[in-house]
Amino acid sequence: MAKKKDETAAPATNGTQMLRAPAEVLYAAELDEIIKHDKHERPPGWRMSARAVLTYICGGKAGAMEITPKYIGHQRLVEIAIATLVTDRALLLIGEPGTAKSWLSEHLAAAINGDSTKVVQGTAGTTEEHIRYSWNYAMLIAKGPSQEALVKSPIFRAMESGTIARFEEITRTAAEIQDALISILSEKRLSVPELATEAPANKGFSIIATANTRDRGVNDMSAALKRRFNMIVLPSPADLETEVSIVRKRVKELAVNLQLKASVPSAEAVEQVVTIFRELRTGQTLDGKNKLKVPSGVLSTAEAISVLANGMALAGNFGNGEVAAHDLAAGMQGAVVKDEEKDKVVWHEYLSNVLKKRGADWRALFTACSEHNT
Amino acid sequence: MSRPDANAWQIHVFGVRHLSPTGAWHLRAFLDRVRPKVVLIEGLDDALDLVPHIVRKDTKPPIAILAYTDSQPVRTLVYPLARYSPEYQALAWADEHRTRVEFIDLPSDVFLGLQDLETERFERERKRLEADPEKPASDSAPPQNLWRPERSESIYQRIATRCGEPDYDTYWERRFEHNLEADSYRLAAFALGKELRDEEDPPLWRAENLVRESYMRRRIAEVIASGVKPQEIVAVVGAFHASVLTSHLPAMTDDELKSLRRRSSKLTLMPYSYFKLSTQSGYGAGNHAPSYFELLWQTLQTQGIGELPGLYLSQVARHLREKGTHRSTSEVIEGVRLARTLAALHEGTAPTLGDLRDAAVTLIGQGEPLIVRDALADVDIGDAIGELPEGVSQTSIQDDFEREIDRLKLEKYRTQAKHELTLDLRENRRVSREEAAFLDLHRSSFFHRLRMLGIPFAKALAVRQDSATFGEKWELQWTPEGEIALVEAVLLGETVELATSFRFKTSLEECTSIGKAGDLVTAACQCGLMKSMDLARQRLQELAAGASEFEVIAHAAFQLSQTARYGDVRRFDPSPLLPLMEELFVSGSLALHAAANCDNDAAKDMVIAIEELNRVSLEHHDRVEEPLWLERLQALADADDRNPLLSGFACATLLERNLIDNEALVREVSRRLSPGVPADLGAGWFEGLAKRNRYSLLARQALWEALAGYIDSLDDEQFKRALVFLRRAFGIFSPREKHQICENLAHFWGMDEEKAYDEIAKTLTDDEEKTLKDLGEFDFGDL
Repeated sequence: MAKKKDETAAPATNGTQMLRAPAEVLYAAELDEIIKHDKHERPPGWRMSARAVLTYICGGKAGAMEITPKYIGHQRLVEIAIATLVTDRALLLIGEPGTAKSWLSEHLAAAINGDSTKVVQGTAGTTEEHIRYSWNYAMLIAKGPSQEALVKSPIFRAMESGTIARFEEITRTAAEIQDALISILSEKRLSVPELATEAPANKGFSIIATANTRDRGVNDMSAALKRRFNMIVLPSPADLETEVSIVRKRVKELAVNLQLKASVPSAEAVEQVVTIFRELRTGQTLDGKNKLKVPSGVLSTAEAISVLANGMALAGNFGNGEVAAHDLAAGMQGAVVKDEEKDKVVWHEYLSNVLKKRGADWRALFTACSEHNT
Repeated sequence: MSRPDANAWQIHVFGVRHLSPTGAWHLRAFLDRVRPKVVLIEGLDDALDLVPHIVRKDTKPPIAILAYTDSQPVRTLVYPLARYSPEYQALAWADEHRTRVEFIDLPSDVFLGLQDLETERFERERKRLEADPEKPASDSAPPQNLWRPERSESIYQRIATRCGEPDYDTYWERRFEHNLEADSYRLAAFALGKELRDEEDPPLWRAENLVRESYMRRRIAEVIASGVKPQEIVAVVGAFHASVLTSHLPAMTDDELKSLRRRSSKLTLMPYSYFKLSTQSGYGAGNHAPSYFELLWQTLQTQGIGELPGLYLSQVARHLREKGTHRSTSEVIEGVRLARTLAALHEGTAPTLGDLRDAAVTLIGQGEPLIVRDALADVDIGDAIGELPEGVSQTSIQDDFEREIDRLKLEKYRTQAKHELTLDLRENRRVSREEAAFLDLHRSSFFHRLRMLGIPFAKALAVRQDSATFGEKWELQWTPEGEIALVEAVLLGETVELATSFRFKTSLEECTSIGKAGDLVTAACQCGLMKSMDLARQRLQELAAGASEFEVIAHAAFQLSQTARYGDVRRFDPSPLLPLMEELFVSGSLALHAAANCDNDAAKDMVIAIEELNRVSLEHHDRVEEPLWLERLQALADADDRNPLLSGFACATLLERNLIDNEALVREVSRRLSPGVPADLGAGWFEGLAKRNRYSLLARQALWEALAGYIDSLDDEQFKRALVFLRRAFGIFSPREKHQICENLAHFWGMDEEKAYDEIAKTLTDDEEKTLKDLGEFDFGDL
């Protein structure tokens, strides 16, 4: 899971005017240091070796410099992702909302090329021109088709420069449009029939696409296109500690940004909320001894954060400034019970079969949640 | 200490990892080069007689050397041999080159004696821990690995982590299995084994190794004393022992050997399976992907291990295609490329199993581990089962069976003729010895175990209801089929008990229905296997969590409460079952309301389920969340949108518990039976109400007053309708009860009680019969 960095505090040397600078600007110092100390062989078109990319993303040391981890927990998945790009295959990152797909894709591109900005943002309105090329129509009409009149897509530019293009939310684009990628990925060239030429991709070209599994109404990819991607499913945070640390960090940041007038929830409260979210999400208690029914919602890490922030807002405005169990209970109820009847039963079962037996530390939260769930 | 042979000696030692294909390959090359006169192998000293059988042409690995004690408590030792085991290949090489072979490890009786000691030590430790849980154990151990506990963060894991590998198997594979440089494997394994010995604070059980090694040195000295030159000897041992087989360290003396505890033992060969091999853990006992390593062994013999990734991944793809999921060759090709790149990231020369599995998930599974899970299990583990020539194997389970027959005094029943045997599981208080007092209980457990193993010896017969908790009746008959089934059962475990436990484990893994899991809980209790019962309970919990069908959950809860009740008779502690029963009780209570929205057919099963859950709440009212159940029953009793029969039944259940007072009852009856309510609904409700506790119904005059009023209020058409349901409702009452109802109603209608009853008791005339029949077939939907 990504550590969503407090980006303004990152070692920015450049782009301070930007609301949000791209990764290669934010982490320029780290990237330079890694390149300086990189002794391994670089794949063609790459700025650094595969192993150095791994160091950049999962953290480690470059010379004397401590490299911050950008993605915590599933190092093996990052290895597979990097290995995929080394074999000039395209990479598809799939996952539920909030599993750091775009985050990982941005940092991979930043490390490999020092440029994470060749992006196609997939929507229902994305057309084939966004993937291939379009024309400068004034020039087209004035001079007819020519190289100058060609407006190249980010993917076209990536092919020319032998770098990596990113395709965000690929499944939001209509399946027919997605299929424009098929021949680009298999033949590694793009034909421009109007100019009677073909643009070959240079070594180092590849595509990193991201797709969401949970949202309904997305356009599933065709089998032919799927075959051209190596697919990696990004999971939720691997363990309680990772998730707790992510949540605490974000809650603290939110408290500052939103000027919530309450003290930050205790470590115990954060752990309890995250525990409940994890248990309901995975359908079993943390010790693995009890299976549980799963409610219909996603119960992402982001929702756990919002439950805690919500609790702070309640405590700050209507309470005594200390986040108490009943401040959290309302948020929990809203996060867990999405589909009235069924979720309510699931939540009730969880409360009386699991929480109730957890002893005195959990008693307050149990009572507050039970009161809300009637 | 003095050595039997004072001369210094240095022999060739080849340290291997058991079940290492590349080790076997290098070993053969080494033997070809050295051409020894004698091959020494780390194996049970007294197992030498088995060697001719192991190398016979019609013996097909995997097989295992099995040593077992011939008395209680049974201890067993299993040495599995796969085709790619270095030890097996050493035996094969020696056989091909007519070279003398010696096994140099401790004989089995000493080994089993050591195991005895170790188990006793562990038991003591456990007892001490139980008595004083505060004091941390010097060497606490996970219970599943009873006599050979490994610490959670073992030295092997630490080595792997330091080398940047996820686990020791990957570490080993990358650095040893892929190492084809001549002699490099042997020297590296030697160095690794030497370093491992320097572990700080080694676990206590490793002391056993020192005993074994000094015995090995003794045996080596003996072989040298018999006139073989040291340089003509090759010893094949685990890498851990390789560095200490020199004359610089003392060999075991006669006195030392004599002082070791021994357990009289038997040795045999048994067929083994790759599945069994993969389920065992630990350094030497098994490896997790036997079929994969066999593939590695094959490629070492033929094309070289460069071919392995392609072979492996195409097998996965082929498996998927057979199951109907198409995967193209290009995905296999890309998979091989990805696996190679992953290996290169770790500076490996070839992909490890982990790399291949990840490549398979990414390419062939398209990111989803679930898609390739079965295929991977098949390609990694496979279903190979070893074969032995007939008559070679006299297995431990047969011995164990004999012993049990003897212990349980069943010898006279082991004939081809059928015998009946009635058991009384209760303690026999007329005898003093515990063994004798519970003889029948032990017999019952034994029969149930055989039943689980599918060994046709004892067949359960039905018993009368009144003795069902403590009485059992069996029909005993011994057949040749029984003998065959018994021998086959050794694949599951070395004794009847171990085999039954293993059968439980696999049955539970396959089990997908709550009902089946509940049965297994009961069966485990009948077999007297507490550990299996706990596994079954866990499985039941897993399945129950996913279920929301009220009937199933209620039945499971009921079954658990019944099993817990048997606890006394079967002398086990039912407490582990109770928390699950509580959970099921909550789930069931919550599911009740939704499930009660059903038709009349389904309602019949629901009535049984409600009854069951209610019994649980009565029998365990101190444990389960009774208020929740009563609240849910009340909600159902009050509901107008659920099946009326069930609403009525819920009402009756509450009535029985005296939770509805007369006033509320009358109000409810008149609400249910008020003129606006369709007659079938009202009567259906009454039918449900009448399904329980008739005496308490009969005693409530207010109820009958309301009913009398209701019938009065019906017009002719409505009466005809109501008649059908009321007739059904009262049909289940006994004549005596009907009599009382008549009295009640007659009282309100101002009739003579006796006369009214006579009127009803009269047999129906043909005409009336016909009218009723017509009514019964009447389609109320037309009205």
